[in-house]
Amino acid sequence: MTSAQSRLTSVMGHLNPDTGGRARLLQKNPDDIVITLAVRTPLTKARKGGLKDTPIDDLLIALLTQVRERLNLDPALVEDVCVGNVLGDGQAYVARSAVLAAGFPIDTATSVANRFCSSGLLAIQTIAGQILAGSIDIGLAVGAESMSTTPDAGAPKMCEKIVNHPIAPQNQMPMGHTSEEVANQFSISRGAMDQFAAESYQKAEKAQKAGWFDDEIVPVTVALKDPNTGEVEQVVVSKDDGIRYGVTAESLGKIRAAFPQWNPSHTTGGNASQITDGAAAVLLMKRSRAQELGQPIVGKFAGSTVVGLEPRVMGIGPTYAIPKLLGKASLTKDDVDVFELNEAFASMGVYCVDKLALDKGKSLIFQLGNLSKEDADSLLAGQVAQLKAHSGIVVQDVVRDAIQLWEALDLQEGVVGSAWNASGGTSRP
Amino acid sequence: MLEFRTQGFNGYNVKYSPFFDSRIAVAASANFGLVGNGRLYILGLTDRGIVPEKWFDTQDSLYDTAWSEAHENQILAASGDGSIKLFDISLDQYPIQSWSEHAREVFSVHWNLITKDTFLSSSWDGTIKIWSPEQPASLTTLPTHSCTYSAQFSPHAPSVLSAVSSDSHLRIFDLRTPASASNHLTLSIPIHAPPKARPGIAPPIGIPPSEALTHDWNKYRDTIIATAGVDRTIRTFDIRMAGHGPVAVLPGHEYAVRRITWSPHLPDVLLSASYDMTCRVWTDGTAMGHGGGTNGEDPMAYGGGKELGRMGRHTEFVTGVDWCLFGAEGWCASCGWDERILVWDVRAVMGQ
Repeated sequence: MTSAQSRLTSVMGHLNPDTGGRARLLQKNPDDIVITLAVRTPLTKARKGGLKDTPIDDLLIALLTQVRERLNLDPALVEDVCVGNVLGDGQAYVARSAVLAAGFPIDTATSVANRFCSSGLLAIQTIAGQILAGSIDIGLAVGAESMSTTPDAGAPKMCEKIVNHPIAPQNQMPMGHTSEEVANQFSISRGAMDQFAAESYQKAEKAQKAGWFDDEIVPVTVALKDPNTGEVEQVVVSKDDGIRYGVTAESLGKIRAAFPQWNPSHTTGGNASQITDGAAAVLLMKRSRAQELGQPIVGKFAGSTVVGLEPRVMGIGPTYAIPKLLGKASLTKDDVDVFELNEAFASMGVYCVDKLALDKGKSLIFQLGNLSKEDADSLLAGQVAQLKAHSGIVVQDVVRDAIQLWEALDLQEGVVGSAWNASGGTSRP
Repeated sequence: MLEFRTQGFNGYNVKYSPFFDSRIAVAASANFGLVGNGRLYILGLTDRGIVPEKWFDTQDSLYDTAWSEAHENQILAASGDGSIKLFDISLDQYPIQSWSEHAREVFSVHWNLITKDTFLSSSWDGTIKIWSPEQPASLTTLPTHSCTYSAQFSPHAPSVLSAVSSDSHLRIFDLRTPASASNHLTLSIPIHAPPKARPGIAPPIGIPPSEALTHDWNKYRDTIIATAGVDRTIRTFDIRMAGHGPVAVLPGHEYAVRRITWSPHLPDVLLSASYDMTCRVWTDGTAMGHGGGTNGEDPMAYGGGKELGRMGRHTEFVTGVDWCLFGAEGWCASCGWDERILVWDVRAVMGQ
């Protein structure tokens, strides 16, 4: 823009200040809920990766210790920790104990949140809501899952009323079945799914090689058992291990169907995400408090919403939740600079991108490996780092159950919103 | 009412000389300040009307001017090319000094009223700079990180200065504080924050942030600052109670307020100039006898202030207004994009 043009734009701005949804979202208010710290552990393959022998309590302690050391704050100022987790045994016991064992004082309270895949997002929503309501000033939202040590055993036996209900028993469907349901109902071809998944791999490969994840990952020291010798040693896990390099649609096309029992059997180990171990945390407070404490502001929580849908096709939740959240924020699709759809199954990703008519140039679709699983929070930390690389508004979603809307202002600051799509229940992996 | 035409140049600000009651300066720009030259007019108020004593042409647009408080012939001009120029009106043509450090348009210049040996500038480049007329480089740079339309030294404390920016914040700097990471910043007040809610009174309306274009220190009450800008609203703040929101909220202008200035004679009266082509005179509601009455039914109004009158003779955006310090209380000068300087008596429009 030339000097004359920018001067004209400036004067026009005095006369007609932009009061649209995007302008409102980009404003900085003292009452904004902001993120001042966002970190995660590496995300590793369940049963094979570096965190396979780390139970949920050890995983939480490893992460929370890192958080405490990086706070730049008296840990006593963190008034509440909300841990999103789906499968952990006795999660409330474990979460409270892990917070204490990680060195937080007894004043720091703990709760747990569970909305299946979007539990980490629910944790953020819970903490943000508490701050907004004035219940607390500073809170930590965590998402953590150890799929290796507490695998998903599926739905329990349910009562007659559920079993005989027309929709309610759908929650007993394994997740792979729901992927096939989507592919079947919406005629998603195997080729489209493989193409989508390959692009995700390629983007993740590019991101990993470019070091985009380096800022968000905190290395953790954990016990690892050698599967051959049975020897246990302490190792430092510092890198995501689920990203395969050099993946193409052709190479994915050779993989055989994972679920031959369900029509149309398009889902494979290559176009579905892995089962993952990992944990992540974000520290939230009001902007005014962050400025008082001299904390860096890396993102802003701009809002969230939830919507349910038939559990049978739970993965297409973003097609309901994204428009709902954009509507609440008076935004249009074009106001958003980056959408991140994080697919559990490519069938759902393909459908969502098509249905929402997302510009593929804007969609950053990663197959990080955590996609299938419940610690959506880890995506959040990832997003903050992504925002640093891509200024603009970002919508991210975890296709299975959760959606996030993010928005970045510039290299220093991002705005984060999350949309929640509770699938009205969920299915087994 | 006296009138002078700045033919071909659109006014951006007007300032009375602090030494002579008959001399005013006008910073003006060709083509509405968008592109082209600037011109600094020195005008004399005579019994034959307003006559040009001198003018200085500059390469780029001029957006503000400030008389030296130390030397009656010296005057600063803030230029669109990022430079600040010091002219001596007893000389012809060229500035006696020019400083080029700002990376973008300089929007305000202001002389230190107490020590009189320094001045400041603020710019679109997101900084305020403090200068000595004797030094070739700036003494201090204070970041605001957003386009800063207006900055001033306090008229009460020589080391305190203030600024308003497009990020809707009023900032106070105190140069006596250590030059730590805060860069002398002592207060940052969100201008758009609503007045503090009080029990029994309906909560004030929250409004979004908007660009702040102008502000001024009260000449009598040393902690009171008025601000105004794109949201068409004038507010006053008491910097002793920065967290309590505005003390008074004065809505009424129909477009952005480009300039406000407190009366040098009355502690509650201020004058505004707006894109709505009017100048308005206001009381902030603190003077005896003004209590209780508010500005009609406007739900935004707060603090008991109200408009006392308006001058609607300009036919384009009014961009500058200044009080005469001398003589009968109430004379002022205004300038605008209609290429006119008007000198008028505020008392004549009050109550209209």
